[in-house]
Amino acid sequence: MGDNDGVDEFASAHAAARDDRGDSGASAQVGRAARGGQLTARRVATLIWALCLVIALATFVLLAIGPGRVLPSDIFSGVGGVSFLVLAMTFASVGALVARRVPENGIGWIFLLTGLANSVQLLTWQYADVGLHATERLPGATAAAVFNTVIGEATAGLLGLSLLLFPDGRLPSRRWRPALVSLVVGMALLVLAGTLRPGRYAEPFAQISNPFGLAGAGGVIDGVDFAGWLFVIAGIGLGAAAMVIRLRGARGIERQQLKLVLTVGSVAATAAALLMVTWLVWPTGQLQLRIAVLGLCFASVPLVAGVAILRYRLYEIEIVVNHTLVYVALTLILAAAFAATVVLLGTLLGRGSGWATAAATLVVAAAFRPLRARLQDAVDRRFNRARYDALRRVADFLEDLRSGRAAPEEVEGVLREVLSDPTLELMFFLPESGLYVDARGVPVSDHPDAGRERVPVERGGQPLGLVLFDPASQENPTLLRHVVEAGGLGIEIARLHVALRRQLAEVEASRARIVAAGNEERRRLERDLHDGAQQRLVSIGLALRHAQHELSTSSPERASHTLDGALAEVALSIDELRELAHGLPPPQLDAGLGPALRELARRAPVPIEVKVPGERFDPGLETAAYFIACEGFTNAVKHADATRIELSAGRVNGKLVVSVADDGVGGATPVAGSGLSGLSDRVAAHGGTLRIESDQGAGTTLTAELPCGS
Amino acid sequence: MRVVIAEDQVLLREGLGRLFEDAGHEVIASLGDTDGLLPAIAGQHPDLIVLDIRMPPTFTDEGARAAREIKERHPELGVLLLSQHIETTHAVALVTLGGFGYLLKDRVLAVGEFLAAAERVAQGGSALDPKVVAGLVSGRGEDDLLAELTEREREVLELMAEGLTNAGIAKRLYLSERTVEAHVRHVLTKLDLPESEDGHRRVLAVLAHLSATQESVT
Repeated sequence: MGDNDGVDEFASAHAAARDDRGDSGASAQVGRAARGGQLTARRVATLIWALCLVIALATFVLLAIGPGRVLPSDIFSGVGGVSFLVLAMTFASVGALVARRVPENGIGWIFLLTGLANSVQLLTWQYADVGLHATERLPGATAAAVFNTVIGEATAGLLGLSLLLFPDGRLPSRRWRPALVSLVVGMALLVLAGTLRPGRYAEPFAQISNPFGLAGAGGVIDGVDFAGWLFVIAGIGLGAAAMVIRLRGARGIERQQLKLVLTVGSVAATAAALLMVTWLVWPTGQLQLRIAVLGLCFASVPLVAGVAILRYRLYEIEIVVNHTLVYVALTLILAAAFAATVVLLGTLLGRGSGWATAAATLVVAAAFRPLRARLQDAVDRRFNRARYDALRRVADFLEDLRSGRAAPEEVEGVLREVLSDPTLELMFFLPESGLYVDARGVPVSDHPDAGRERVPVERGGQPLGLVLFDPASQENPTLLRHVVEAGGLGIEIARLHVALRRQLAEVEASRARIVAAGNEERRRLERDLHDGAQQRLVSIGLALRHAQHELSTSSPERASHTLDGALAEVALSIDELRELAHGLPPPQLDAGLGPALRELARRAPVPIEVKVPGERFDPGLETAAYFIACEGFTNAVKHADATRIELSAGRVNGKLVVSVADDGVGGATPVAGSGLSGLSDRVAAHGGTLRIESDQGAGTTLTAELPCGS
Repeated sequence: MRVVIAEDQVLLREGLGRLFEDAGHEVIASLGDTDGLLPAIAGQHPDLIVLDIRMPPTFTDEGARAAREIKERHPELGVLLLSQHIETTHAVALVTLGGFGYLLKDRVLAVGEFLAAAERVAQGGSALDPKVVAGLVSGRGEDDLLAELTEREREVLELMAEGLTNAGIAKRLYLSERTVEAHVRHVLTKLDLPESEDGHRRVLAVLAHLSATQESVT
């Protein structure tokens, strides 16, 4: 057997490839050599596969023209034989694919070899069977039978090799070498025993006596055979153990690969075991069919292994496997529950199977959902570690959030970590403004850049935000959805935080605007005083000086004229000063909101009805209320063409409610920079709300609610 | 004295014009903004420009900027800047140019002193508003050199800073010129300032001292 050489060959191919990858400074010659080696490897793989195909086709021809006798030992005839041909070709094809794609991975070569060994075994079996039982013995039929017997048992060891080296074609560590040795030694012993066992062969080659048999050494040979099996079985056992141990330490892709193969392998092994059991119970009948099922069961394992190594649709298959597991278990348990209920009730009631069936249906219906959830969780924990771990991490985060150990803003970091996408972005939707913002509250575009995808986050039908991610980093798209769903609460809290911060920023901006407006007002006053009243007084002074000069130099009439001019200036100054005082809190406000508003009403050109109780409020609040009333009143007089205005102010539900209603034209809207906009800032500064009802032609009602504090 | 007036308020502009004319001066141009200033100066050889700081179009410092430009082109011209309010730093910086005055508008009502200041500026002297000088002199610590001055010497110092000559100081304080000279000498000695003749260089030295020592205090 060339197994050992084969393994060494893969190992050196692997080493060459590793050199190629690892040592980028190596000379170009080495690189070319490695590439050349890869090319050769591909050709070799294709060649072996073609050989397998030829052998399989030849075997198929033999099967088709074969005697078709159904003896208990003649299991590889008919559909059974075809099924095992399929198995051999599955190994060969998957092996060839893997060996061509990743020649440094020994698994491909082992699969190829397994396929080759199996197909050779099948061919020699069929040839010997047909050749020995035909009317005329075919040439080489004996040799085929001998060859088949020699390698027959040893091929089992190849399974151990696959287990031991999956998925990367390397031993888990150097300590696993004995397992490899055990397999190789075991296979060698089995070949030896097959070669040297004396006497006649087993059916269907019983007519041949082993030409190489060591006469009289039957006992020793049986011992060698037994030892060979011991070594091989130990090797296979160690191989299975290696897989489990690998799974425990594996992360990411390797974990998925192992999990997939282990899951499918266990299912196939269970199915095979069940078939073997039927063998014991029911030794004859549909034998070939059962063999066919067994072969196909086995064939699923190399298929899945190839998928795992080539990472072709790894996650979709995982989901299929996951669901299959859940639903198979669900079906079994529910069927058992149904049967048990029917039997139990049938026994108890003695009759009326209809009742029992109905009750059983109810039991099954009631158990379906909770049982499915349980099973899904159990399957996730065991088989879908990534999802389980991710959801676990999210749940931990939510727990930390509840107990105050984590800030809601960390949710983005948790998503990045769980989904291993450091470029993942979480943006929050603010329903009141319809904007998307990041964790700092800065508005961002919800259109992803090229090469990124978006997933909406919703909770209870309400949009919370978006997750932008790099689809290349997400090998499992369903995981993202599950994680985002699970983290919904954290995202919602973070969104509320962000919204709150934005509101605070808005309030701060509005406060700054009010301070700026105050400063602007002071500047205006200062300018009005300096440029208006003060200059006028200076010019009056100058006029008086001039009059003085005129009195001393010319006629008193001219001085009188100058003084008239100065007096006119004085009158203008008084008007100006009054204008200036407009916009400052009136002195009447010291006596309360009522007197101040009544004073305002007295000066108004239209009748104003004032309804203000005598209650006093905080002076700042009263001033605000006064100016709100003034602004509303000015709007009503200036813009609304009102003939009647109703002004009221008073405490309602712990708030000072100021309302100005007129019977004018209506249709007022707050425009930026207008009096109404300044008004809403003033109201917002007191934490209040401003409402303007102003339908066209229906008058305007302006209502401000200011919290009173007390 | 040939005067050009730039003041946007009509009444004040006319009042100023009348004031100068009443005193026998000639107002050769009366402008509402700074635009026509340079042509007016170029054609008519005035002795003094009287400017309001705030003028159209922005009502911020058009007058001050025009004043700087005039001084750059015609260093010999006297420029008197009228302001509505006190602004020490700029005022001192401008006055140190010489032939420059900075007065609050209401000074015009003290006609005699105003005209004296205007004439001083026209002759290359300085005029700094007493309020600005008071700002420079006040608010000083105990260890300041100014503390060593007598009340009278302090008055003399302030008038020196305003730009008055010894004769002007004497007239203002009703003292003989000889007494004023003595006070001035004492002040300069106490403040460790070089004795220079009655004029712009003295104002410069005094203002430099006041500005420097005030900076070190505040």
